[in-house]
Amino acid sequence: MWQELHDELAATGLVMLAVALDEDADAVRQWAQDESPVPLTYPVLLDRDHLVAERYGILNIPTTVWIDEAGTIVRPPAIAPADDRFKDFTQIESAVHHEALRRWVHDDVAPMTAAEIHDRQIPADGAEQQARAERRLAVHLLRAGHRDAADRHLAAAMELAPGDWTIHRGSMPLRGEDPFGQAFFDYYQTWEAAGRPGYGA
Amino acid sequence: MGTDATLVDDDREVTVEATPTGDTLLVAADDLARETGWTLRPAGLCRANVCVPVRDRDALVTDEGIDVRAFGAAIGRPVAVEPDVGVAVLGAAPTEVQARLDARTAPPFTLPDLDGHPVSLDDFAGRKRLLIAWASW
Repeated sequence: MWQELHDELAATGLVMLAVALDEDADAVRQWAQDESPVPLTYPVLLDRDHLVAERYGILNIPTTVWIDEAGTIVRPPAIAPADDRFKDFTQIESAVHHEALRRWVHDDVAPMTAAEIHDRQIPADGAEQQARAERRLAVHLLRAGHRDAADRHLAAAMELAPGDWTIHRGSMPLRGEDPFGQAFFDYYQTWEAAGRPGYGA
Repeated sequence: MGTDATLVDDDREVTVEATPTGDTLLVAADDLARETGWTLRPAGLCRANVCVPVRDRDALVTDEGIDVRAFGAAIGRPVAVEPDVGVAVLGAAPTEVQARLDARTAPPFTLPDLDGHPVSLDDFAGRKRLLIAWASW
């Protein structure tokens, strides 16, 4: 878990900030408790409007971004599982990320060259930005009790951004669907058949 | 006459006078200028010393206000609208998002922690930061 990595690296001065792309603070609290044997000792922030997803171009979770002392992004958003529990789905070895993180924190070894960062950055896209605006409108409407209108705008967002998990899976709880049930497996299969779009690793 | 509508612009939600028409909202020009900084001038839509040309002025402006969809199109920002409820969301311009990506500068943010206390990325300036986006879903 991230908590273990935090315990290991906090003394170096590394700041870990978790941003939960969630509507419901209780769901985040529950999740954080279930996931960790101890109360998390790093900040967990609630991003109901997905502002961080929009500003950093984040399409899926868990995603990390490395930011240096000067506020420069030295490793752009990429999927980084805390451990290997879901490796069948992610197909990513978590240790590769964590080893690179240790080298950066301890020895200041840059994880990527400027050219690599450029290559891995997912370019900004008009349809994606429109989708995020539609999602934002949908959650606003949902909070005000306009369920039908909210569903229409969520549907529009999902159609505009077929590869965006923060919109597709992130909308499942809002639509009364189980994000660990059939809706997840259906979306996963569609996304995989499309070649796992947006999965910058 | 318009009624109160909500304009969502980045991390702000403000009230503007607007009239629903078809699939859009006509926002009172003064309100839109006050909240976004964009005003209509002979040169087009202007903010500070930047003006963008307006190809079809009649499609943008009526007596009742500025069409928020046409406004977004003119300044390059996505717009999502629910006219009957009276809400419009101005999204982030793809060109601005790309410019920030190219500059590699971490965009600032301030968000509440689970106790409601605001925390900013800048609170930890001068230190290495690992941002982890996750969720309960």
